[in-house]
Amino acid sequence: MKTPSSKSLSAIRRLLVRHETVLLVVLIAEWVYFNSVGRHFGSLDNTYDILRHSVEIGLLALVMTPIILTGGIDLSVGSLLGLCAICFGKLWRDAGLSVPVAILCTLCIGTAAGSLNGALITRLRLPPLIVTLGTYSLFRGLAEAITHGVDTFTHFPSWFLFLGQERFAGVPAQAPIFFIAVIAIWLMVHRTVLGRSFRAIGFSPEGALYAGIPVRLRLMQVYALAGLFSAVAAIIYTARLGQAKADAGTGYELFAITAVVLGGTSIFGGSGSVHGTLLGIAAIGVLNNGLVHAQWPREMAGVVTGILLLLALTASTLPKMLTGLRSRRHTAATKPQTQSVT
Amino acid sequence: MRRYFREISVAAALILLLGVLAVLGPAFFQIHPLLSLLAREAPELVVTCGIAFVIVSRQIDISVGAQFGVCSVVAGVLAASGWPLFGVLVAAIGTGLVLGALNGLLVAGLRLPSIVVTLATMVIWREGLRWKRQGQFVNLPDGMQWLGQTQTRGQIVIIVAALILLGVLIWAMKYLAAGRFVYAVGSDAEAARLAGIRPQLTTFIVFAFAGVLTGLASMMNILQSPQVDPKSGSGLELKAIAAAVVGGVAISGGRGNLIGPFLGLLLLACIGPALTHLHIEAYWEKAIQGAIILLAVMAEGWRSRK
Repeated sequence: MKTPSSKSLSAIRRLLVRHETVLLVVLIAEWVYFNSVGRHFGSLDNTYDILRHSVEIGLLALVMTPIILTGGIDLSVGSLLGLCAICFGKLWRDAGLSVPVAILCTLCIGTAAGSLNGALITRLRLPPLIVTLGTYSLFRGLAEAITHGVDTFTHFPSWFLFLGQERFAGVPAQAPIFFIAVIAIWLMVHRTVLGRSFRAIGFSPEGALYAGIPVRLRLMQVYALAGLFSAVAAIIYTARLGQAKADAGTGYELFAITAVVLGGTSIFGGSGSVHGTLLGIAAIGVLNNGLVHAQWPREMAGVVTGILLLLALTASTLPKMLTGLRSRRHTAATKPQTQSVT
Repeated sequence: MRRYFREISVAAALILLLGVLAVLGPAFFQIHPLLSLLAREAPELVVTCGIAFVIVSRQIDISVGAQFGVCSVVAGVLAASGWPLFGVLVAAIGTGLVLGALNGLLVAGLRLPSIVVTLATMVIWREGLRWKRQGQFVNLPDGMQWLGQTQTRGQIVIIVAALILLGVLIWAMKYLAAGRFVYAVGSDAEAARLAGIRPQLTTFIVFAFAGVLTGLASMMNILQSPQVDPKSGSGLELKAIAAAVVGGVAISGGRGNLIGPFLGLLLLACIGPALTHLHIEAYWEKAIQGAIILLAVMAEGWRSRK
């Protein structure tokens, strides 16, 4: 019944309704619109500004991609960012460590905290949503307890602030770190056995286990990596604002998840891409910045992001729904007694 | 006994905490602070019931906090413009119904994953509210607080209303066909469909009902203060989900009741005041709440492995 032409047509259609393509169009539309409305929007300085402000959420979204690929989720990254920022400040100011040593310790703390998530999820076979909901409270609570809710850490050495506020070789100083992270995660997800195994786990954990994939180890690694990235994001956040406080990164987990889902990664796991996530981060970053330039209220960014997310989701499930309807009609014609299973 | 393992263990933890308080900080049991605590938690209880329904049907709703904010502001603005109390109540519930039904439409109608849908609607409502109000409080007319009664009487009315609602919902979930439908759909939607239940319709109604309860809860909340904070309800969704999970509602759907979440909520709510009375710094509240959530799920994990 299917002719070659209809097959190639459906291939084109598939490419068109691919998340990445739709999102790229949205991104370009955003860019063109804001460029025509805002006066300085298109300038290089502003592009760097968008980049600078996207790095922390970007790092979290990057590492959230493999997590969601495995069918998991991590709600605790924003809280962990806060906890790491506080630990860094505490280690530097009160424990008297030098900044590099404090950074190193913070990265270890972040990885350990991420491993705690991983251990609870893999050892006790608990749903990631619930485990990370618990650590979401726990990490933020610890940050508040350490600072008594009021203490903030400031007056970091200027060379450290350079990392967050100045330019390195013409680009924002945190950009190289971000690009290294992008390349590392992209290679891991798309070009290594690790990335394949994440997908396999997301598609079917049991099947992955029978295929010889060390499912628990892989999950452990991916949550530990999320902890490490949260710590890196915490350092950059602190350097950008010149201040570490307990509420750092509040709500970042939601923006990170939004960027990933907007980028076409299935929330049920098994399929998705890092470049999609990058487009998602860019779409959110451009929107946030562009609305200010277009002199729209800042809050519109959240509203538009939410609507975009819903549209992207609908667009991604529409082909599946149409085929579902078709097959239902088909089975209804052949077997009038039973309805098809969708 | 084994069937109610979770309820009994949460109740035991609560009794233990109250016992420690009775010895070390008997001031906790003064009637007025206790009434204030319960009245403050009454709206959260109502929201938690809605969330429990949603989780039992194997969905999740993280937009209830934002819905709560929208309902509160709508009710506040209408009350300030002179609507009678009953009209305001209907408007708050109606707003909740519309917001919940929208979630339900997206989840059940378009079959989108509920966590992403409610994530999106949460951001939309919350940011939309911030845009409309710019953080401005709504001043309520005189005589609205505590329904124009004394504080104690108002608190008692709110607490009793919440408890009656809880009782009705516990009964409905156990003995009404509609309540059993929620369990059926949550444990196996396909089996439920073959048994003649319409899973998508059930899911839609569950979301709409959670919205109704949220609207009602927002009304219970604004009766307690002279102003409406447009930020009210922030983080409420996570508190409610935590209470439900601590109370033994399985996130994988189909299992749980409302007694557990009720006890879970009481336990989580008592931590903050308990810390004050035990002379521990209050900043530990959130960390301890997180630890309790983890403990509860760990207990569940260990039990299911045996």
